[in-house]
Amino acid sequence: MIQIECPFCGKRDQSEFSYGREGQITFPALNADENSWYDAVFLRKNTYGRQIETWQHTHGCRSWLLVERDTVTHKIFSVKLAHTDWQEQIKKTT
Amino acid sequence: MNPLRKKNQSRTDNVEENVIFFFWNNKKYFANKGDSIAAGLLANNQHVIGRSFKYHRPRGIMSAGVEEAGALVTIGNGAYTEANVRATTTELTQGLSVYSQNAWPSVKFDIGSILNVFGKFFAAGFYYKMFMGIPPFEWGRGTKIWMFFEHFIRKAAGLGQSSRLPDPDCYEHMHTHTDVLVIGTGPAGLQAAISAAEEGKDVLIVEQDYAIGGSYLSQPDTVELETQIEVLKKLRVTILTRTTAFGLYDDKTVGLVQVMPAKEYKTSSKKPRQQFNICRAEKIILATGAIERSYAFINNDLPGIMSVSSARTYLNRFNLLLSKNIVISTNNDSAYETAIELENAGATITILDAREQIGNKLLQQIAGLRINLYLGSGVVKAEKGLNTSSIGKINLVEFANNKWRYAGNLSCDCLLISAGWSPVIHLASHQGYPINWNEENACFLSSGDNKSIFLIGSARGIWTKAGCIQSAKEIFQYNSRKKHKPSTVIGGWETPLAPLYEICLHNIKGKAFVDPQHDVTSSDIRLAYQEGFISVEHMKRYTTLGMATDQGKMGNIIGLALMAEALNCSISEVGVTRFRPPYTSISLGALAGRNRQSHFKPIRRTPFNNFSIQNKGVMINAGLWHRPWYYPMESESLEAAYIREATVTRRSLGICDVSSLGKIIIQGPDSTEFINRVYTNPFAKLPVGKARYGIMLRDDGLVFDDGTTWRLSENCYLMTTTTDNAFSVMARLEELLQVRWPDLSVQVTSVTDQWGGCALAGPNSRNLLTKIIDDPNEISNESLPFMGIKQVLIQNVPCYVARISFSGELAYEVYIPSDYAQSMMEFIWENGQKFECCLYGLEALGTMRIEKGHLTNAEIDGRVTIQDIGLSKMASSNKDYIGKVLKNREKLTDSDRPQLVGIFPKDKNKTFKAGALLNEAGYSNGHPLGWVTSVTFSPALGHWIALGFITGGLAYVKDKNIVLSDELRSNFLDVEIVSPQMYDPEGLRLHG
Ligand SMILES: [Zn+2]
Repeated sequence: MIQIECPFCGKRDQSEFSYGREGQITFPALNADENSWYDAVFLRKNTYGRQIETWQHTHGCRSWLLVERDTVTHKIFSVKLAHTDWQEQIKKTT
Repeated sequence: MNPLRKKNQSRTDNVEENVIFFFWNNKKYFANKGDSIAAGLLANNQHVIGRSFKYHRPRGIMSAGVEEAGALVTIGNGAYTEANVRATTTELTQGLSVYSQNAWPSVKFDIGSILNVFGKFFAAGFYYKMFMGIPPFEWGRGTKIWMFFEHFIRKAAGLGQSSRLPDPDCYEHMHTHTDVLVIGTGPAGLQAAISAAEEGKDVLIVEQDYAIGGSYLSQPDTVELETQIEVLKKLRVTILTRTTAFGLYDDKTVGLVQVMPAKEYKTSSKKPRQQFNICRAEKIILATGAIERSYAFINNDLPGIMSVSSARTYLNRFNLLLSKNIVISTNNDSAYETAIELENAGATITILDAREQIGNKLLQQIAGLRINLYLGSGVVKAEKGLNTSSIGKINLVEFANNKWRYAGNLSCDCLLISAGWSPVIHLASHQGYPINWNEENACFLSSGDNKSIFLIGSARGIWTKAGCIQSAKEIFQYNSRKKHKPSTVIGGWETPLAPLYEICLHNIKGKAFVDPQHDVTSSDIRLAYQEGFISVEHMKRYTTLGMATDQGKMGNIIGLALMAEALNCSISEVGVTRFRPPYTSISLGALAGRNRQSHFKPIRRTPFNNFSIQNKGVMINAGLWHRPWYYPMESESLEAAYIREATVTRRSLGICDVSSLGKIIIQGPDSTEFINRVYTNPFAKLPVGKARYGIMLRDDGLVFDDGTTWRLSENCYLMTTTTDNAFSVMARLEELLQVRWPDLSVQVTSVTDQWGGCALAGPNSRNLLTKIIDDPNEISNESLPFMGIKQVLIQNVPCYVARISFSGELAYEVYIPSDYAQSMMEFIWENGQKFECCLYGLEALGTMRIEKGHLTNAEIDGRVTIQDIGLSKMASSNKDYIGKVLKNREKLTDSDRPQLVGIFPKDKNKTFKAGALLNEAGYSNGHPLGWVTSVTFSPALGHWIALGFITGGLAYVKDKNIVLSDELRSNFLDVEIVSPQMYDPEGLRLHG
């Protein structure tokens, strides 16, 4: 079982978190054309190795996180808050 | 063989208070305290312990450890029965009942052994070929014939039977954190624990046996062991015995399971029988030892054939000398130490060494002892003795001109085998650390990652005790920040071993076992090769090698070696299958722990729960929630109750608990913009004090959820969701705000549990509200119109009232702070008595919403579009929202998609059920036109009605004859397809 270092709560078991999706997806504007929405919703990189993915600390502070993880070894390289402003603020306070 | 218990020596003295009794197949026997079941049986001259899996051959004790493939027994009685217990690793306790397995009518005479005579039919793949219809044997046409025979085969093949009674034991889960976890308490493990503790680390050391010491326990004296244990205790190292590390997982997590002995759990049922322990450590040291291998020769499974090291264990740990006359067949130096100790204990030893030369040191050690040494020698076949099922004679071979040749026979009642050692690298393999074949020592080796996972001692292929201890010290001598480079030399024997996996001569026939627990023979491996199953993964599945409860701890390498020989390549080229947890089997009870029966999942109770129960509500599970289902009067049935409840509600007044709906507070300057992006319909102009029904889509354009959202103030909304999606809508909103639109200044908070929701429905609902509310003017038709919301005082408690309706009647939802819910509900109910009034449950709620064509997750099942449910008018074209683009994909906009409709039976007396299919009359086969999602008896209409989906919707099937077919229940009837708004389609009743 992997452990994820939540920026608010510290190191917690994977069972407290839920996986979201691949984190490098940028969702297009709500009125973008069908093709860009199609790409964002259905095309996945399915990376073998290091990738950024989103997780939510569901049974904790409920933050959405950007987790950089190796899909082969499950090693985690970094964990950040997905909300850019919050991440900036937490960096300042710690 | 007739094992002798030595008197008055060391640990298990035969003194009276050390004697215990036990039952073997209901007969009383005596053993010594501390004996394993196997030791107790050997001491009582019991050699046939069970019958084998497939051929029902008699099997005895083969080892003294977890690798045991022969002596599997059942212990305990009744509900406490535990099957497939290894006799070699389980402690005998006073009065324990032990039974043989897989034998009928008895171990000594077994009907199934007739299978042994027909053995050739039971070769690898036999079941598949014969019964499952692989060409050219297709006489049985596949699965039908297999299903017929399977019943008999399953009865004949197999292991012990577990009790069918509920498990009376208690199991516990726990989590442990430690700096260093050491697995194994042999010389290497104990030293590692000491070295770690001396560095000030917090250390946990675990041992699967019920005694500490590992291979120390098999040594003639225990002084060294006792010294080490003293040191450990002084250093306050935590020691757990009976604890197996069954798996190594990500992030240095180890699964441990501690199994308490039989006696303790019977006398005190409060103590857990097993403890399932998730252990996290900074460093994990695998001092898991090595397992001695056998080799394949004919009848190598006869009782009386055991591993060399086990004879040493029985001698030194249990004071049992297996026989006065012992033959040892070996290919390595390790057997000599045992030979010498057995000789000292009074036995005469014959050593058959496969090597043609051994070192001088060994020769000097055995010089002058009653040890006859034959070099270049081995066993090709064992035979039963007269009047016994055990071994009585062996056929010898000698090595000449690079091959084996027959060399006469020898009478022998105890044959010990050592064909090399396999380090226990299972845990390292679980995590995928590389495993390499070491040619010189004929074994697979792994070194973990040498950063946090280390292998030491014989688990790393070190055969000398001094080397093992040194390998443990090394880890901690090294600067922990740098990568550890082990310097201890692998191996350590004077003369290298001679690889030995099989001895066979073409003119001597019989079964030579590779995997005795699953009855896989050397010819099965060759058959797999012949038939092309040469990859290890295929060979494993075709022969079932290594798939029994011991997972091939002894047999796997022999199988690989035989395949390598057939393929004419090296073992490293054949490869090895990755080991999977658990290392030894764990009971389901341990995995479940306390999460069983009512503790299987949490229960959510609404704030009105006690009120509902006091009023005879029958509860039903809806997800985690317990919701009132119906409120029977006297002996009313479910059906009678819900019909009455719905009728009274539509005629006068009904009260219903709707607290389980998801409730989310949305606040912040951008909340309007946010809600407008989430819902398909416009919310930008929703005035304060009004609610609106909304539909939200997923990114892919399909319907996600629906509910009403109330504007409480300029920048504050209360969103309600369906009960089922409350959790996922909340997570979704959080994702949108934190990941996708961090620029929106909005906060969301779940308040589902903070409010009790109560629906007042029916023509008298406003009249009731007028009676309970502090200021009745607030809820007049003018001040609270349809879809209006208001904060009001009831009994001076601030509550929300919303004029919304799921039932189609004039109705209100009253939201009460949870803490006041019980008393407030009593107050409302009391006032309700002034009218014709009832409580209604989930069933009546469902009836009324089906009559109105309102939706739940039976319809919004993740596959429907907003058009499919007839709400395309709610999809705004003047704004952008989630799912807007992809909902217009080609196939999602087809007019012939299944669409929501109402369904009436043509014969109004007929009933039917959800899940039935809809077809055009005359086309009842194949793909249906539609299906039924929700069914109820409609008290308002006086007959059964349903909601469902049908291709093209109402317009397409208007002039067609539609037949409803429920093949499973043989129910077929003509139906009429109608609008889903089946009752009061104009919505007149809403306005009272
Ligand atoms: Zn957190």
